[in-house]
Amino acid sequence: MSDTVVVIGGGPAGIEAARNIADLGMKAVLVEERERLGGTPIFESYAALTPHFDDAEEAMDGMIAALAERAGADVRTNSTVTAISGEAGDFVVTVDGPSGSEEVAAGAVVLCTGFTHFDPGRERQIYNYYQYPDVLALQDLEVMLKAHDVRVPSTGKVPERICWVQCVGSRDRNIGNEYCSKVCCGVASKQAIEVRKIAPDSRAYIFYIDMRMYGYWEQQIYWPAQEQYHVQYIKGIITEILEKQGGLIVRGEDTTMGRPMEVAMDMVVLSVGMEPSEGTKTMAGVLGVEQNKYGFIEVARPPLDTVSTNREGIFAAGAALGPADLEDTISSAGAAASKAVALIRRGSPAVV
Amino acid sequence: MTGIGAAFKLEPKYPEVPYEEKARLFAEIKADARYDDYLYGCYECGICVAACPSARYYDFSPRRIAQAAAREDVELIFEQIQEDIWDCSQCFSCLRCPRGNNPGGIITIMREVAVNNGLDSAREALKGYTRIIYKIMSTGTQVSPDMLQADAFPDWGPTVAATSENLELWRRALPPDTHHTTKTGWQISTKTLVELYLIWHKTGALDLISELDEGLHSLLEEVMEDLLEEEGYEL
Repeated sequence: MSDTVVVIGGGPAGIEAARNIADLGMKAVLVEERERLGGTPIFESYAALTPHFDDAEEAMDGMIAALAERAGADVRTNSTVTAISGEAGDFVVTVDGPSGSEEVAAGAVVLCTGFTHFDPGRERQIYNYYQYPDVLALQDLEVMLKAHDVRVPSTGKVPERICWVQCVGSRDRNIGNEYCSKVCCGVASKQAIEVRKIAPDSRAYIFYIDMRMYGYWEQQIYWPAQEQYHVQYIKGIITEILEKQGGLIVRGEDTTMGRPMEVAMDMVVLSVGMEPSEGTKTMAGVLGVEQNKYGFIEVARPPLDTVSTNREGIFAAGAALGPADLEDTISSAGAAASKAVALIRRGSPAVV
Repeated sequence: MTGIGAAFKLEPKYPEVPYEEKARLFAEIKADARYDDYLYGCYECGICVAACPSARYYDFSPRRIAQAAAREDVELIFEQIQEDIWDCSQCFSCLRCPRGNNPGGIITIMREVAVNNGLDSAREALKGYTRIIYKIMSTGTQVSPDMLQADAFPDWGPTVAATSENLELWRRALPPDTHHTTKTGWQISTKTLVELYLIWHKTGALDLISELDEGLHSLLEEVMEDLLEEEGYEL
């Protein structure tokens, strides 16, 4: 029985899982494919985190610094897991890194390989994401927000009229992603607030199917966006975006007003959903854990066990399990860490 | 307009005015001190429409009022000033809004702006109320016993005719002396009337009437001035 847990993926979930494992007195080996920790919030240049508007880079740097203080946590960047053998309590995990291949004895594994943003040019091209420079995705606007400089790409001007189109790549049987990506309503609303702060003369519109901002996000994001920043929420999804007279025209139905609409915009932001990352799909194969039809990791015993996979001793956390906000991610990372440590302490797989 | 649309062009029900004028009216609505307490954000949930008695009888929606205001849709707000706001019965059932909006209150402000600006829609809407406005402003009471006639109020029940025949006697049967009246709802003291007339004058309420109905205005002005002069007030 090894007292080491291998954590795969150095984003928020992986960092939190490794920190918890070390705090619980076990050894964590955190394997990250890229050259540094931080995951999607860092590599996609997130500006402010939803819903509290913390600076994403500062928040991640804080997590990374806290992990570095744990002697029990061994961080391996530029490294990947390429094979696993054995069983719960006695796995042998092959880690390929800069100094070659190493076999790590591990009692358990926590998979934290996260998500990727839906590619709005992947399926139907109805929004012309790759054709029109002024059609962006959430993460493209994050880069501008982080620089505190929001400009219409084709003109270099501050946008006067900007809109978000919700549920792009989510809740869509034609695309195959039938699930709600959970965070996009909150993220779009957060971005709209940021844009209205940076460009107070702009008008901001969010076209939606349902607004889904659960719990306290209502008061933290939705109401302030509407009431203080006068973001316009219009129930009705944009069917197409056209280039016209040097700007964009979005077409849809203003459903609650009962009329079709064609509205001019300087800039359109597609609220893209979540899909399993390449890392999640690859690692699922390497570890031999079950994926659901969308490619996310399937939990074996829902709903009261949210982190165990079908293979004993292998757990998953964060957005590898499906769409998750940061709060969900940190919570599931803690749950996965405690289950992994408990398995090793007990010396046998978890009692169901 | 060309093509198929031309065949379906509807005649506007009210005269078209420049956009700037519509924007000016909306600015006046927004500048009202009550506005910020009456409008937060709209879920578009429809609870106000579900609660609204007028919405059952007219093509009227308090939700659309709140939405148009929240969206600052100047064209639609002008359309609503012309039509929708006069369908509201000001019962404020819409106050059950989960966001704390007050669509009926927004309508109150919109109506005041319409009246203050002498809009035709306000004139048209208040046309049927000349008698009631006269009664309220000249006596302080609204419906008086002598208005209780079977032909005017058939919906007041089968005994209306019999009651109206011996109205004075019936009224005398009421215990409070102040109700022994037929021309007004109750007795009104001169002091009360003087105060009332001064209020109409000083608040500009009487001037409002001149924007809407010149005939009614001169009638009221005469009644009021006579009494006020008798009581020693210089106007």
